[in-house]
Amino acid sequence: MDLSALPWDNIFIIITVLVAGMGIVFGISIPAIGQAIVAMSGLKAISRQPEAGDRINSIVLLSLAMLESLAIYVLAVVLILVFANPMRTFILGG
Amino acid sequence: MLKKKKNNKQTLSLILVVLLVIAMALISFQMRQNQGFEPTPVTEEISPSVVFSIGPLEVTTTVINTWIMIAVLGIGAFFLGRSFKIRPGMFQNAIEFLVEAIRGIISKNIESGDPSLFFPIVATFAIFIGAANLLGLIPGLKSPTPDINTPLAMALIVFVSVPYFGIQTRGLWGYLKHYVQPIFLMLPIEVASEIARTFSLTFRLFGNIMGEEIIIAILFLISPFILPVPMMLFSIFTGILQAYIFTLLSCVYIGGAVKAHETT
Repeated sequence: MDLSALPWDNIFIIITVLVAGMGIVFGISIPAIGQAIVAMSGLKAISRQPEAGDRINSIVLLSLAMLESLAIYVLAVVLILVFANPMRTFILGG
Repeated sequence: MLKKKKNNKQTLSLILVVLLVIAMALISFQMRQNQGFEPTPVTEEISPSVVFSIGPLEVTTTVINTWIMIAVLGIGAFFLGRSFKIRPGMFQNAIEFLVEAIRGIISKNIESGDPSLFFPIVATFAIFIGAANLLGLIPGLKSPTPDINTPLAMALIVFVSVPYFGIQTRGLWGYLKHYVQPIFLMLPIEVASEIARTFSLTFRLFGNIMGEEIIIAILFLISPFILPVPMMLFSIFTGILQAYIFTLLSCVYIGGAVKAHETT
């Protein structure tokens, strides 16, 4: 079977889009679970001690921002995969 | 009976509005297909284009939009600053609220040191990033934050200002000592975290606004004028929230460098 006769550029694009879609699903849903846990415990803490609400609020926002950056890294990787893949010239030969 | 009638009227108007929106979306989609209008690709919609170049320097649309924003903010601040009264008007109330909020962030997160020392840079972060994120809502202008150079510049300012404020308040030796505070093994970890948080600040701001813009661009490709509107309304919230988070994080980092240790 002649491997070089296959439409490699089409196959490459299909694989890239599939990997990007699956990557964004896993990369968004797992940090989302972490953010939910943070928000839940922050809500519990505020309802237990409403007078400490201001301090808890800023800490919760801080941890949410930290967790969100994980999802943002996945988004950056997926954007690079889809729009500016560095392997494109290597695989398709320029 | 009367209440029920009113409810019916409300439901009817809601259904009418929804139908109208769907009909307008379908009409715009149909018009797009009939006229054979080729939409610009998403990458060209997002990425900045070079307007002109001075020697090796390329002036992109990002830079020009930033200049316009800086000019509007500067002229506005100049005229507002000269018209302060004892009894505040509408704009003065808004500015005072903003200043009070930024002061609150600073005094909550930077425990030691004079708060007015950190106020200029933190307020600049808040106002600049907030205005930059909201600039994309004005037609014809693009917000500069989806270009990675703008968030990187902001993060590098934080990266430089943390040791600056640390040395200013604690002295050179006192600041350098906190790298090796419990044990000297902490030195590579501290240095790595300083570099990593610069990139994390960059990518948080860049990725959030970029993702927002890409979603708006894709919705615009599907059906212009109607579908992007809810997402654009949501982008106001995201832009303000990202500006708040950037300000909060830079305050926390500066506060960590400024904090005086009790044990000498």
